[in-house]
Amino acid sequence: MAVSYLGVRLDRLRQAQNGDGGWSYFPGKQSWLEPTFYAALALHGDPAADRAWDLLRSWQRPDGSWHPSADVQIANWGTSLCVTLAHIRGEFGEPFRKGVANLLDTSGEESKFVNRAAAKLGILETQRDFSLKAWPWKPNTSSWVEPTVHALVALKKASAQVSSADLRERVRIGEAQLMNVRCSSGGWNYGDPAVLHVELPAYPETTGLALVGLQGHKDLGKSLDLASRWLKETKSPLAGAWVTIALRLHGADVPESAVTEVSADRMILALEALAAPEGNHHLLKTEAA
Amino acid sequence: MKITRREFLPVGAVGLLGGYAAWQGAKTRPKTKTAAGSSPVAVIKAASYSDDLERRIRDGIRECDLDVRGLKVLLKPNLVEFDPNTCINTDVSVVAAALNVFRSLGAAEVRIGEGPGHRRDTYAIAEMARYRSEIPDFDNIFVDLNRDDVSPLQGFADRGEIYLPNTALRADLIVSLAKMKTHHWAGATLSMKNFFGVVPGSIYGWPKNELHHVGIPQSIVELTRIFRGSFAIVDGIVGMEGNGPIQGTPKSAGVLVMGGDLPAVDATCCRIMGIDPTKVEYLAMASDKLGITEESRIEQRGEQIRTVRTNFNLIEKFHQLRLA
Repeated sequence: MAVSYLGVRLDRLRQAQNGDGGWSYFPGKQSWLEPTFYAALALHGDPAADRAWDLLRSWQRPDGSWHPSADVQIANWGTSLCVTLAHIRGEFGEPFRKGVANLLDTSGEESKFVNRAAAKLGILETQRDFSLKAWPWKPNTSSWVEPTVHALVALKKASAQVSSADLRERVRIGEAQLMNVRCSSGGWNYGDPAVLHVELPAYPETTGLALVGLQGHKDLGKSLDLASRWLKETKSPLAGAWVTIALRLHGADVPESAVTEVSADRMILALEALAAPEGNHHLLKTEAA
Repeated sequence: MKITRREFLPVGAVGLLGGYAAWQGAKTRPKTKTAAGSSPVAVIKAASYSDDLERRIRDGIRECDLDVRGLKVLLKPNLVEFDPNTCINTDVSVVAAALNVFRSLGAAEVRIGEGPGHRRDTYAIAEMARYRSEIPDFDNIFVDLNRDDVSPLQGFADRGEIYLPNTALRADLIVSLAKMKTHHWAGATLSMKNFFGVVPGSIYGWPKNELHHVGIPQSIVELTRIFRGSFAIVDGIVGMEGNGPIQGTPKSAGVLVMGGDLPAVDATCCRIMGIDPTKVEYLAMASDKLGITEESRIEQRGEQIRTVRTNFNLIEKFHQLRLA
């Protein structure tokens, strides 16, 4: 039985895998795409990750998007996660290509002509630049930080296989959108730096995520400094894991987490495993598209 | 007139009104005993969180004749995010007291569930808000509604269906343990708006932007319809005024407001806050369809509104909501 920080978490993940090959968010529940993706990354190379991919592959919809669980038949941001996982596994067949095409066809409602025009004319009050297309949590809603980050990671990875000017442009604009919604502190919240002209605070978890999406981008010094500070202060294991992953991907030397509690939350367990010094966080490394 | 992005985008929500005629509760839930054509709402004074809140809550439940014996009860607090400088969440002492009261009144099971709309680490927010430290066995009775298993429900505004957490759908009684706050989009957030926290982030994201696109008032009304038969306990001991629901300032109202007719409870809260409920869009939509908002038809029990009314500061766009 493993005793290391990473080993304990990987063991716990192996034990927690559902019979269908997926992972639930919490014990005794059904499999969901999101914890299955993170567990499959943490266990990449392990037979458990192969079973996870077999399950996730079966959840792809005819339009190339993915649905988030066996019982929920609507598309959401899990499409980006599955494209990333397919790439990491070297699966570049039709599911991968259809997934990439679906991401390129998806954007937040705010960037539609009618909303851009309304913002331009001043009848729609917003501090965001609606000309910058990004990605929503689910189709027909607005774009936000976390789904944009996941789409950027997926498309940057996919750029080596899918040579497309459209893809490179979506990555460029997506990164610009993330910079557009950065808070004055240098961090990010869910995606609105201000509401009704009042500044909103940034959060550590979304700041970590944004830094993952902006790998290779310039002008991130203030954000990385904030992330380093938050790593010491945050009480959230989820935030701690994302900030650690981000700092490692940006080349920072981060010590192993001092967290001793092993979470019952499988997504946090997997993220902590990914964030460990010997964990698979490098799988989220991206190059410029 | 300027409108906001969240007000502008939900252009498809107009179909909602057509469904009102067919409104019915999602399942049979216990009702408070209500005189024909009226709704009891209890306003119970509580000067501070160190008062005997169990007794206050028991008094309110008795005033509303709620019987919870044998029921599976889900307490749904308003746990959004944490800021030590203000009072965003239902205070832990109210949640802990409600837990003990519903257990002592013979509920078969009492759980606590919430799905915060902005922050993903629900347990970390619960930690910061002292829920984990002050509610015994919290982790075993709490359900993160953002990431629960779900079931589809047909008929949600113009979207056709909505997925909702099984813990909420299978509860015999949901208790909306809301916070008395102003809200920069809706005017006020009380027991009805509190149902936004039931919508699962695992499908709809953080924030639950689907609800904004459907329309905030429409979504509040639809969720209240789905969870009709719930009971409300609004924590107005210290509420929030100004730029709520996150960045406002604490405002002491010194009351707990309770009842089984949620529009009546929220309308009463509005009057206590100095807000005209007939001008709050979602209450106007719900009035006479989901509950009573007319003051003369609400059976006021406990304190009278005029004795506890304290005007909450309103942001400029909502100045017209001020009650005469």
